[in-house]
Amino acid sequence: MKKEKLILSLFAVLFGLLVAGSIFYFFQITKTSSNANTKTISFVSPSPTSTPAITLTLDAPKDEEVVGSKVLTVSGKTQSNAVVIVVTDSSEDVVTPLTNGTFTTTINLDNGQNTLEVFSIAPNGESISSKRTVTYSQEEF
Amino acid sequence: MYKKKLLYLLVIFCCLLFIVPSVRAVTPTRTPTPTPDKTTEIRDQLITNIASRVAQLKLVEKRGIIGKVNDVANTQITITDSQNNIRFVDVDELTKFSNPIVKGAFGISDITKNATVGILGLYNKESRRILARFVDVMTSPVVIQGGVSAVNNEDYTLSILTKEGKQIIVDVENLTRTYSYTQKGGLLRAGFSKIKENSSIIVVGVLNKTEENRLTATRIIFFPEIPSNPKTNSFLKTTQK
Repeated sequence: MKKEKLILSLFAVLFGLLVAGSIFYFFQITKTSSNANTKTISFVSPSPTSTPAITLTLDAPKDEEVVGSKVLTVSGKTQSNAVVIVVTDSSEDVVTPLTNGTFTTTINLDNGQNTLEVFSIAPNGESISSKRTVTYSQEEF
Repeated sequence: MYKKKLLYLLVIFCCLLFIVPSVRAVTPTRTPTPTPDKTTEIRDQLITNIASRVAQLKLVEKRGIIGKVNDVANTQITITDSQNNIRFVDVDELTKFSNPIVKGAFGISDITKNATVGILGLYNKESRRILARFVDVMTSPVVIQGGVSAVNNEDYTLSILTKEGKQIIVDVENLTRTYSYTQKGGLLRAGFSKIKENSSIIVVGVLNKTEENRLTATRIIFFPEIPSNPKTNSFLKTTQK
């Protein structure tokens, strides 16, 4: 008798779960969402950009820097196939960048304020320049 | 029998409920407050002094600028620097003035408008002003870069077209140092005759006082292997049309 009751109750639970599951399934199928809640995601392929213009970044020296040594290191980064020209008030130097585009050179400074202009010219003639004012002084103030 | 068991269970449950020790929040024990003695006072004072000195040092730094004089007052010079920014320079009794052309006394009253000056002083990052220690009147050469649009072999002049579309006439003198740069040969001394049209060029010189867009070259570096800037070429085509 007890065994029968147990089997019956088990069947009843299973039947209940089946009914509840099927109701939930039909509810999910018939559910419709309104257009206001729908978001349209479109993927746009990136448009081809024109070839980047020549770039030049000067790491050293800083603009308006005051230094106590006559020998100044000029370093930076540009296109690897470009030609870098460092022009000061009294001297000039041409450097070829390394394969990663970095370049370093040293120049001699005059007493007082020096204007330093660095040009980078690409093989196609495109150019860019950067200007720095560097002061050589050993005055204490 | 069943009722008795239930009663026992209830009694055990109630007993357990009261026996469980109650958890109380631990109150923080008061740490003894440090007594303000002389040492701590000195230490605090030192820390404050060092901090203010460090801040002061970081706020002011040595700087050197070059610019064109816009205005001169008793204690202030306003200049336009190489980046076209307006800069305010303060002058005091410690500021020294000089001009390589003038021998003898030279002061703030001798500085004229449009003169190029080099200023060395203390720059205040907060006020963005420079307290000048040295003010020197100077002549700064002009550097131009562009493409050679014309070569005149008769009067030794070059026409340079910059990438901004500015046409500049360059006078080449006997004292002008001319260099050519090639990948193989590097930087070599060269003559005026080697300069060809549509090649890249850098000219360092002094602007002509009477004629605008004309300069006398002191140094020339030209690049026979590098054509003039594509932008320059477009300007050239439009001017030729």
